[in-house]
Amino acid sequence: MLSHPALKAIRRELFASRTDGLISLGLLALIGASLLGLLRWAFLQAQWVVIQANSTLFAVGRYPLDQQWRLWLLVALLAMASGLSWGLLRAIPRADRSGVLWPLNDRIALALLAFLASWAPAALGLSVPLQARWWLITALLLAIRWSAGRWGRRLPPRLLKLVPLIWPLLYLLGMALISGGLGLVRVPPSEWGGLLLTVLMASFAILASFPLGVLMALGRRSELPLLRWGSVVYIEFVRGAPLITLLFLGQNILGFMLPGGLAPDRVWRAAWVLTFFCGAYVAEAVRAGLASVPAGQQEAARSLGLTVPQALQQVVLPQALRIALPATVGQFISLLQDTTLLSLIGLLELLGTARTVMANPDFLGLTAEVYLTLAVLFWCCCAALGLGSRALERRLDPTHSPA
Amino acid sequence: MIPWLVQGVVGLAMLVVIALLVGNLVRNLTAAGLLLSWRWLGQPASFDVAESLIPFDAAMPYWRALVVGLVNSLRAIVVGLVGATLLGTAVGMTAYSGNGLVRRLGRIYVEVIRNIPLLLQLLFWYFVVFLSFGNGTEALQIPGVVLAKSGLYLAWFAEGWSWQGPQLVNGIWQAPWRFSVEFAALLTGLITYTGAFVAEVVRGGIAAVPRGQWEAATSLGLHWSQSMRSVVLPQALPVIIPGLNSQYISLAKNSALAVAVGYADLYSVAETTLNQTGRALEVFLLLLGAYLVIDLLISAVMNGLNQLVQIRER
Amino acid sequence: MTTPSISSAQAPAATGPWMIEAIGVQKRYPNGFHALRGVDLRVRRGEVVVIMGPSGSGKSTFIRTFNALEEFQEGSITIDGTALSNDLRNIDLIRCETGMVFQQFNLFPHLTVLQNLCLAPVLVRKRRRSEVERQATALLERVGIAEQASKYPGQLSGGQQQRVAIARSLCMEPRILLFDEPTSALDPEMVGEVLEVMKGLAADGMTMVVVTHEMGFAREVAHRVVLMSEGRIVEEAPPSTFFTNPQHERSRQFLAQIL
Repeated sequence: MLSHPALKAIRRELFASRTDGLISLGLLALIGASLLGLLRWAFLQAQWVVIQANSTLFAVGRYPLDQQWRLWLLVALLAMASGLSWGLLRAIPRADRSGVLWPLNDRIALALLAFLASWAPAALGLSVPLQARWWLITALLLAIRWSAGRWGRRLPPRLLKLVPLIWPLLYLLGMALISGGLGLVRVPPSEWGGLLLTVLMASFAILASFPLGVLMALGRRSELPLLRWGSVVYIEFVRGAPLITLLFLGQNILGFMLPGGLAPDRVWRAAWVLTFFCGAYVAEAVRAGLASVPAGQQEAARSLGLTVPQALQQVVLPQALRIALPATVGQFISLLQDTTLLSLIGLLELLGTARTVMANPDFLGLTAEVYLTLAVLFWCCCAALGLGSRALERRLDPTHSPA
Repeated sequence: MIPWLVQGVVGLAMLVVIALLVGNLVRNLTAAGLLLSWRWLGQPASFDVAESLIPFDAAMPYWRALVVGLVNSLRAIVVGLVGATLLGTAVGMTAYSGNGLVRRLGRIYVEVIRNIPLLLQLLFWYFVVFLSFGNGTEALQIPGVVLAKSGLYLAWFAEGWSWQGPQLVNGIWQAPWRFSVEFAALLTGLITYTGAFVAEVVRGGIAAVPRGQWEAATSLGLHWSQSMRSVVLPQALPVIIPGLNSQYISLAKNSALAVAVGYADLYSVAETTLNQTGRALEVFLLLLGAYLVIDLLISAVMNGLNQLVQIRER
Repeated sequence: MTTPSISSAQAPAATGPWMIEAIGVQKRYPNGFHALRGVDLRVRRGEVVVIMGPSGSGKSTFIRTFNALEEFQEGSITIDGTALSNDLRNIDLIRCETGMVFQQFNLFPHLTVLQNLCLAPVLVRKRRRSEVERQATALLERVGIAEQASKYPGQLSGGQQQRVAIARSLCMEPRILLFDEPTSALDPEMVGEVLEVMKGLAADGMTMVVVTHEMGFAREVAHRVVLMSEGRIVEEAPPSTFFTNPQHERSRQFLAQIL
C-alpha cells in the first residue's frame, strides 16, 4: 500500500516511530486548526476596508495630492531602470553565467509580477484609472525587460558600461523629485509619510552607513592610535546604547550641539541617527571580514609592488567585503525593521501612519488587520533582501562558480 | 612621516568638531538655563509609575522614579533572557530532529519572526492579543492561567505549599502570581523575537560539531536526546556562548521598546522625566550609563561562562 | 653517497655585479626574540643561492627582509644598488624589482588566473592591459597552464597554483626572485612540476634566492648552498662541497637529519 515514493517520504519524515507519529498528528491538528481559524477570520470577520480606505495614506502619507504625479513619475522611472538592468543582466552572458534569456527564476518573477499587478490594485479597491496606471507601469517594466534581453547584446560596450550609473543618478533624481526645488514646488520632509518615508529613511541610511562603516572598520585596524581609538570609541558608544536612546539624543540634544539654523529638521536628524547607528554595526561586520583575509594576501600584493591603498582596494577589500556581505545585509535588514522606531519619536512612517489610522474613530479596533498587513509587507521586503543577499553571495564566491 | 601627518590632520579635525559641538552645547544649554546639574534628581517626581517592585509614590524624588524604572527594566531583561534561552534552545535543536514536520515548523518560526520588526510584534501582542480579552468571566481561562485585561494570573504555591490557581472573587481575578498585561506582552514579544535569534545561534553551534561526533555517539548506542545532551551540546557551547552574548545584549537594549506598550521601564520613566524637567542631556547620560552597565554585566557573566566551558573542554 | 654531477640546469658560475648585498643584518621581534643575529650574504646577478636550515633558524625571516616584508634593526641591505631604508619610495621600487613566491601561494582568490597576473603590471607599471595580457598568456604557457587562464585559483591544484604564483611574479619582470619554501605546502606528487619551472628559470639566468629543503634541487641548480641556524649563517659552500664535505659540526647534524 505504502509504495509510492511520496508516501514513503512522508512515512519516514513524520511517522518514523510511535512517538514521532503522535507528535506529528498533534502538530498537524494544531496547524490545521490555526490555519482554519486564520482563514475564517481573514475572509469572514476581518474588515479590510481600513486598508483600502487608507491605501494612499499608507503609501505616501500626507504628500500633497496635486504633487503626487512626481511620485508616479519616479515609480515609472524605477520600473524602467529595473527592466533595463534585468534584461541586460540576462542578455550579456558572462563566463560564470548561462546565456539563457528566461531562466526559471525569471519566469517565476514574471508570474509574480503579473499576479501582483492584477491583484493588488484591485484588492486595494483603487479606482479604475489608478489600477490602469499600475498595469501600465508593470507593462512598461516587462516590455523594457523583454527588449533589453532581446537587443541588449547589440548595444556598444561603452554604453553598456554606463548602465550601472543609472541607479545613483536615479536616486539623486528621485530625491529631487520628492523634495522639490529646481522649479518644482517644495514638499518639506514633514509631509512625507507612510511607505515612502520608510523606504527613503532605510535607503538613505543604508547607502550612507556603508562607506561610513568601511572607513570605521579600517580605522579600527589602523596602526595609528588616534584613528584606532577614535573608531573604537565611536563603535562601542553606538553599539552600547539602544537605538531609541540615540534617536532621543538626535531629537532632544542634537539641536543644542549645532549652531542655530544649521540643525536639520526632525526627519533628517532621525535619518542621520539611523545612519550613524547602522554604520557602527556595519563596521563590525566589515572588521570581521578584514580579519578573515589571510595576512599573506596583503604581503603578496605588497611584494608585487602595489602600494598600501592599491593593495587594500584591489586585493584585501574585495575579499573582506564578500565575506562581510551576509552580516552586512543582515544589518541592513534590521535597519529596515528599525525604521519602525521612528514612530516612537513622532514621525509618520509606515507604523506611525498605521497608528494615526487606528486612532481614527472610523477604524477603531481594527488593529489586527493593520498590524498584519504591515507585518506581511515588512516580511516580504526583508525576506527579499535576504534572498538577494544569498544570491549575490553565491555569485561572488570564486570557488563555487562554474568554469 | 605621511601616516603621522594624516593622523595629525584627522586628530585636528576631530578636535575641532568636538570642540564646536561641545562649545555650542554649553552655550545653548547655558542660554536655556539647563547647564549640567544633578540637583533636580532630588525634587519630587509628581508622577506615578504604573507598576513597581519597590515602594513608590508621586511625592518621591526623580531618582527614585528612575530606580523604579531600572528595576522594572532589569526584571524584564532577566525573565526575558531565561525565556529566550529556553525557547531558542528548543527551537534550535528542532533543526536536528528526525521529524520533518518539527524541523520545518522550527524553520518557519525563525524565518517569520526574524523578518518582522520587533516593535510591530510588540504592538501586535499587546493590542491584538493581550488586550482582546475582557475582565471577569470574559477572560481567557486555561487551567492554571487566566488572561484578562487586568493582568495575567498564574497558578503557584500559596501558603502552606498548596497549589492555588486563579480565582474569581467578586468579579475580580486573584492569583498567587499576577503580572500586568503590559509586562506580559513585552515579555512575550521579547522572548519570541530573541528566541528566533537564539535558535539560529544554537543551530549554528550544533552545526559546528563534526558529524563524526554524532556518529560516534550513535554507534555507542546513545539515543538522539542522549547524544545531544551529553556529547554534542557540551562541544557546541564554546561556539554558542559568544553568539548568545550578543543576542542577550540586544535583548537588553530592545527592552527599551517597552515604552511602546506602556510598561514603565527605565526608558519610559526617563522620557516622562524629560518631559517634566527638560533635562535632556542629564537624562540621556543616565540612560546611556545604565544600558552600558547592563551590557557590560551581561558580557562579564557570559565571558565567565565561556571560560568555564573552555576549561572543561581541555 | 654519490658524487654530485653538475647538471645542465646549472648555469656557469656567475661573475656579474652584486644584486643583493646584505651586511650584518640583525632583527629583533617586538616580543624580544632575536631572529637574525648579524647575517651577511652577497648574491651576484644570475646566481642561484639555496638557503637551508632547521625551522626557526631565521631563513624565511632573512629573505623576507630583502623586499621589506620584515623590518630589520641593524645592518644594511642593498638590492641592485638601491639601499633598503625606511624611505617608502625605495621600498616600492625594490618590491617592483624583486618577485616573491610564498609557501602558501597567496594567489588572490577573487581574481582569475589571468587577472592575478595582470593586476600589478597594470597598476604599478602602468602598462597597457592588452599588452600585459599577451605577456601573461605567454608566461602561463611557459609554466604549462595556459588553458587555466580564466579559472579561479580555488579551482586549481596546489602545484598549478604555485606555478601561477611564479608566473605572477615573473609578469612584473623582476631582476631577482625570492622563493620562501615554495614546495613545502604541496602534495609530494606536485613538487616536481614546480621544481621543473624553477630549474627552467635558473637556466635562463634569473637571480634566485630559494629557501627550501629540496636537496635534489639544491644539488642540481644552486651555485651556493647556505645553512642557517639560530639566526646566523653557519656554512656557505658550493653544493658539491656542502653535501659531501661539510665543514661544520652543525651542518653535519642537519644533513644527517634530513638525508
